[in-house]
Amino acid sequence: MNTLEINNLRKEYVDHYTGETIPAIGEVTFSIGEGEFVSVLGPSGCGKTTVLNIVAGFIDHTAGDVLVHGKSVHGPGPDRGVVFQSHALFPWKTVLGNVTFGLRMKGVPRVERERAAADILELVGLSGFERKYPHELSGGMQQRLGLARVLVNEPEVMLMDEPFASIDAQTRRKLQQDLTEIFEKRRPTVFFVTHDIDEAVFLSDRVVVLSARPSTVAEIIDVDLPRPRTWRETVEDPRFREYTHHIEERLGGGEPDAQAG
Amino acid sequence: MTTMTPPAPTRAPARVPLLRRLGTVLLAHPIVRTLGPFVPFLLIWWAVAATGSVNAAFFAGPGEVWQSFTELVRKGMMPSYLGDSLERLAYGVGFGLLIGLPLGFVVALSSWARRLTWPLLLFFQAIADIAWLPILIVWFGFSLTSVTFVIVYTVVFPLMLGIVAGVDQVPRELVNAARSLGAGRLRVFFEVIVPGSLPAVASGVRTGLGYGWRALIAAEIIVGTSGIGFMMFDARRAGEVSQVFLGMIVLGVLWYALDALILAPFERATVERWGLVRQMEAAR
Repeated sequence: MNTLEINNLRKEYVDHYTGETIPAIGEVTFSIGEGEFVSVLGPSGCGKTTVLNIVAGFIDHTAGDVLVHGKSVHGPGPDRGVVFQSHALFPWKTVLGNVTFGLRMKGVPRVERERAAADILELVGLSGFERKYPHELSGGMQQRLGLARVLVNEPEVMLMDEPFASIDAQTRRKLQQDLTEIFEKRRPTVFFVTHDIDEAVFLSDRVVVLSARPSTVAEIIDVDLPRPRTWRETVEDPRFREYTHHIEERLGGGEPDAQAG
Repeated sequence: MTTMTPPAPTRAPARVPLLRRLGTVLLAHPIVRTLGPFVPFLLIWWAVAATGSVNAAFFAGPGEVWQSFTELVRKGMMPSYLGDSLERLAYGVGFGLLIGLPLGFVVALSSWARRLTWPLLLFFQAIADIAWLPILIVWFGFSLTSVTFVIVYTVVFPLMLGIVAGVDQVPRELVNAARSLGAGRLRVFFEVIVPGSLPAVASGVRTGLGYGWRALIAAEIIVGTSGIGFMMFDARRAGEVSQVFLGMIVLGVLWYALDALILAPFERATVERWGLVRQMEAAR
């Protein structure tokens, strides 16, 4: 059984001015297996974030099903951890307070919480920052914290909504590399939304390409690149270029901000 | 400095003129920073009184005001009036917070409660606090209840409006983040909504207290049995201008102390440490 299944998902908005019904998601179907990294890629405004928000339970859908381990889900829940583009850290909590939030909600005792937090902070490279507040961290470190906060909660599936889009190019490379290493170590199930083709191919086991609005699945590509992956070796791999070229063509030349970087 | 000076940062301060250095040191001192701005004010006041150009029946200099202060303290009137005023303020603000905080959050969080009460809120906010006094005196007489009611009334509205604004400004994403980390409604409220709206709630409390303080003085003038407001009005009747001046000064000093000793440290301890002030300034 797949960890996450999205079946015939449709979403329509009603325009408040004209009263018209506007289709946002035409029909989207795909699934993610346990321990699989799947990216959803598409042109800006194609509704990929809408798909993620529906899976997260933040917004309703018009038709179709979202199943986690075969069970239909409604509303947000800790089985689907979300890493936000804006980080969405609690500014009034320390790094430790942010990381242990989910475990506290589950009722995990303090000692265990802090042990788990220490492990995760070590994993994402934030050891020693436990007492800092989010505003004292750089953008890259904030997103590491956003990742740690979800990882420590061990959700069934991690939903990542363009998590590195607001981070400078240099740091982004490093974060992508680190995310790959963390993924290879822990094998969480990941649903990753991005508009960056290189990022999608580098990180993923499969890439779901969406069409423009109303979005439908244009193609699903199996990324057959060896793991562990490093940026240095992967970009040298001719298959990496084949995948990215193929997707660029598929998306109609690609976007300016979707180039190697 | 245009001369060729070798980089010697430790010696550089010695070249700054002595006066300016003294000024910098003095200005950095908290007492100077707090009281400094009042020095020219006091000087002008003193000068105006010293020239005798204003009839002494209408005007009192700093010296006379100080005299009537020491006299009133010695007679015990000042401490007792001050105590009365502060007690009324404490009652009013206490009940105001007790009523305004829960009510504010209910109106802020429940869309139907908001729709139901918003017109009422605006309507009753428009009736000035003092405008209630005539009917209050009919109901409760010249009593603590009347004064407390007026203060509660003035505290509750800015507080409630502050809470609504504060809750509205909590980022939706933080609520979503908490919910997808397993927080239920109650947890979201206490862990996200309350701390997230705190800056606006704090400024609502501040505004409410300020209004309450003014309402108190006005109520004391009208209800008039004791207190700083009563003292001022009573002194006017007796022609003691220096006591009127004194009352005004006491009001200013008390509010300043309340702000500096309670409200500002509270804001510093929470809002500023969390970086919320910086965030809000950046968003502006």
